[in-house]
Amino acid sequence: MSIVLWNVNRIYQSGEVNVHALKNASIEIPDKQIVAILGPSGSGKSTLLNVIGGIDRHDEGEITVHDHDLTKMKDKELTEYRRNTLGFIFQQYNLMPTLTVEENVEVGKELSQNPLNMKDTLEKVGMWDKKDKFPYQLSGGEQQRVAIARALIKNPRVLLCDEPTGALDEETGKKILSLLKYVNETYGTTVCIITHNNGIGEMAHKVVRMKSGEIIEHYYNEEPVDPEKVKWV
Amino acid sequence: MILRKSILRQFKEKKFQYFGVIILLLLSIMLYVSMSMGISTLDNRNDQFKEEYMQEDFHMILANEVSSDQLEEWEKNYNLSLEERLYGDIPYNGNGTTLRLFSNTNKINIPYASEGKLPEEADEIALSPVFAKAHHITVGDEIDVKGRTLKVTGLVYLPDYIYVLERESDLLSDPNTFGIGMTTEHTLQSIADKTVTQILGNEASEEERNAFKSAVTENYSLLKWMNQEENPRIQFVESEIESSETMITTLPLFILALSVFMVLMIMKRRLEMQRKEIGTMKALGYRNSELTKHYMMYATIIGLVGSILGVTAGAALSIPITDLYSNYFNLPSISYFDWDPRVLVIGFFVPNIILLIMTYFVIKKPLQQSPLDLLRPKDTSKGKKSLLERLPIINKGSFISRFRIRLLARSKARAVYILLGVMFSSILLIFGATMYKGMDGIVDSTYKDIMTYNYAAHFKTLQQEETTKGESPFTVAEADIIEINGEKAKEIEQQSMIYGIEPDTEHIQLQTEDGKLLHSTLKNGVVLSEPFASALGLSKGDTITLENAYNNKTIEKEVTGIAKVYIGFSIYSERSEVNEFLGYPKGVYTAKWTEDKPDNSEDVLFIENKQDIIENFESTSSLTRYSVFGIAGFAFLIGVIVLTLITNLIVEENSPSISLFKVMGYKDQEISRLMINVYTPIVLLGFLLSVPIGILSIEQLMNSIVEQTGFAMPVQLSWLMILISLMIILFTYYVSLFLSRRKLKNVSLQEALNKQQD
Repeated sequence: MSIVLWNVNRIYQSGEVNVHALKNASIEIPDKQIVAILGPSGSGKSTLLNVIGGIDRHDEGEITVHDHDLTKMKDKELTEYRRNTLGFIFQQYNLMPTLTVEENVEVGKELSQNPLNMKDTLEKVGMWDKKDKFPYQLSGGEQQRVAIARALIKNPRVLLCDEPTGALDEETGKKILSLLKYVNETYGTTVCIITHNNGIGEMAHKVVRMKSGEIIEHYYNEEPVDPEKVKWV
Repeated sequence: MILRKSILRQFKEKKFQYFGVIILLLLSIMLYVSMSMGISTLDNRNDQFKEEYMQEDFHMILANEVSSDQLEEWEKNYNLSLEERLYGDIPYNGNGTTLRLFSNTNKINIPYASEGKLPEEADEIALSPVFAKAHHITVGDEIDVKGRTLKVTGLVYLPDYIYVLERESDLLSDPNTFGIGMTTEHTLQSIADKTVTQILGNEASEEERNAFKSAVTENYSLLKWMNQEENPRIQFVESEIESSETMITTLPLFILALSVFMVLMIMKRRLEMQRKEIGTMKALGYRNSELTKHYMMYATIIGLVGSILGVTAGAALSIPITDLYSNYFNLPSISYFDWDPRVLVIGFFVPNIILLIMTYFVIKKPLQQSPLDLLRPKDTSKGKKSLLERLPIINKGSFISRFRIRLLARSKARAVYILLGVMFSSILLIFGATMYKGMDGIVDSTYKDIMTYNYAAHFKTLQQEETTKGESPFTVAEADIIEINGEKAKEIEQQSMIYGIEPDTEHIQLQTEDGKLLHSTLKNGVVLSEPFASALGLSKGDTITLENAYNNKTIEKEVTGIAKVYIGFSIYSERSEVNEFLGYPKGVYTAKWTEDKPDNSEDVLFIENKQDIIENFESTSSLTRYSVFGIAGFAFLIGVIVLTLITNLIVEENSPSISLFKVMGYKDQEISRLMINVYTPIVLLGFLLSVPIGILSIEQLMNSIVEQTGFAMPVQLSWLMILISLMIILFTYYVSLFLSRRKLKNVSLQEALNKQQD
């Protein structure tokens, strides 16, 4: 298994109220698969992704990602874990506005001991011809492609995608999903996509549904559909 | 690291901000390096000259001639070195200029020829470089001195005329009206109407020197004795070095503090603006140490650029400063390497170290936040009202005033920064204005209100002859205050003089700052000059014990008043009392004040022309007046940089709100009133605070240097000067507002929308 969560709880203090963001979440995510974590706003899917990504701490339970026991890790170890194991893709792309496309990707490349080739990566995401452009000169879809390249070039074992198509239109969103599928198939990267778009679940190998901090359902798609054919909701 | 590229692009994008702080840093380092190098070079040259060319420990003038046998005997008995030197004052050019020519010496006060050679033959002369320059004379020229043609063989420096003053009581040196030179004894005697023989002394311990002085006074009539420590021609340079040290460090340190503070604010702002980027990098796996290094690079680049430019500009500027000092003080450059390399090292490293340490502490905390916290927008705490905003009176105001107060209350650090920046500029202006007025005050009070005579003739021997109408006799001698109210007094390094005057004299009008005449109080005690009272902390009613330098006799007197005599350490008493104190016959005098020019008879040691002193003072003080404009320009520059940086930062920080106001239909001017003009009360407060603080600090500064300089500058500041200073500060403020309004205009309407999306 690539990722294993066992009875994970996460409680936030919001003013004088405790918010139970994750309730006894237990799940196994197989290696080299695409997993879609679905649910409405406030369902806990982002919290789930954050604790898997080591950018948030869980309060109870156990999380193991490729033999890394996140429960016992200190901050410095979590940094090394993110550096060597993960790639992150955000809804708002989070590119460095003062760096070009190529330089933004290099931000990711610098962290890896075994990075992919820059030209290959940018060609794969279709951005090689725009490598000298700055983020403000790109469309939303193009910016997300750069963000994918930045995560991909590290050659991570797990790619965590937080609403990667949330800010995109259907056509562009589907292209991004195709790209994620390509990455999964070409590099064997485990891809976790969180989204409120239920249609995206159709392209995943495994679907996890969440509601009010709980995993209410998880199942495998016997025949994941092509990203171009998902129903856009 | 690829992130470095973003630093350079940030610098380019926010060029005004970074350029501004670099200029502040540059100014601070440049000031320190140029002034320190100038002063350290002056110090090195002074030390070298006085040691290698045997500067005197003292000199004396006797009424009678001394045989060479007697000199040898004194040398043997008191274990010291003595040498005779002749000098004479010769009118030059016929326009009131005096040239004082000296004979050569071999043991003490050895002349140094910086160009050409010293005179060896008859009709040869060497001149001090500043005098030669002022009168357009070069080596090899032939000049006319009292009808004799003398050949200029070289340029000469004398170790006891480092600060070329005609009289010890003079304050400023003016090569246009007075200069020194050297010639052979024979030539000197043949062109000077009269010559004076000085006996120069050296290599004596203080005890031997005192014992020698007592022995001399037993058998000879001592007209003058001057120790090196009391000789303003030697001491002024050392006083300048000492008094400059405070200035050298205080001024640059304050500007350094302003620039470091600004860098820290910019860095804090940068980190706030790049929260999401930092969060993303941390999420990607960047370590804290890597991000710390990245953000430290901003401070490193600012520090390196500022310090390299500052040190370079400072070193370059130190050359004219050193030249100016060397001309002002007649000091030769004996060796090529006479500057202090430590200044460059300190100028480079200290600001960088301070900047890096402070930046580290500012960036450390935000970088230690978790990636998740950084990725979330920071807006929750900003909704809270500060204590100031909760005050009921503030909540009653209009929307605009409440908005402005809220903005002020939420950026207290910026308000403090503006306050400090405005205060710094204002204090500089107040300082300049006080100097400007003070120079007038010294001349008007001392030479016009108090000293109403035109000439003072000082005699070689005691005089008994009745003075005529238009003349006032007085006795002057060296005396020290040894006790104050029964306790030992602080030793003053400068020479202090006691004047025995006629209480009914019209040639000196001792008066207080309120204009109250003090002559009637002389029968009950003594009146002191302002610098003397200030240096010893004396005031009316104190009891002082005086000791005269001739027979060590002491006398106790009450201080009956402080006169607004701003130059010199002087004690005024009745002539009969002073004569008794000195052991002189009752009716004698040693000098007289006159209205008409006295005859320069054999008995006269020297004549003081008050008009010459005033002209000399005014011509040289014009330099100070020019420097006031320099100070005003400097204050303006600092003010504009500080205020514009802050207002720019405000525009940058509030650009989403500005954009929103624009979308809502607010005009640029209205937004400017809401956002940028908010600091007007702080600017006014800063200025108002600066006036008393400025005056107080100038008084403190003057008090601290009065002992070395021997003059107290009256701290007079007219309302007009205050108003002009305020106008300059407000002009500075409005220039910075104008510059910021341009930035405000450039905030696009899209900005609000973009931020909403974030």
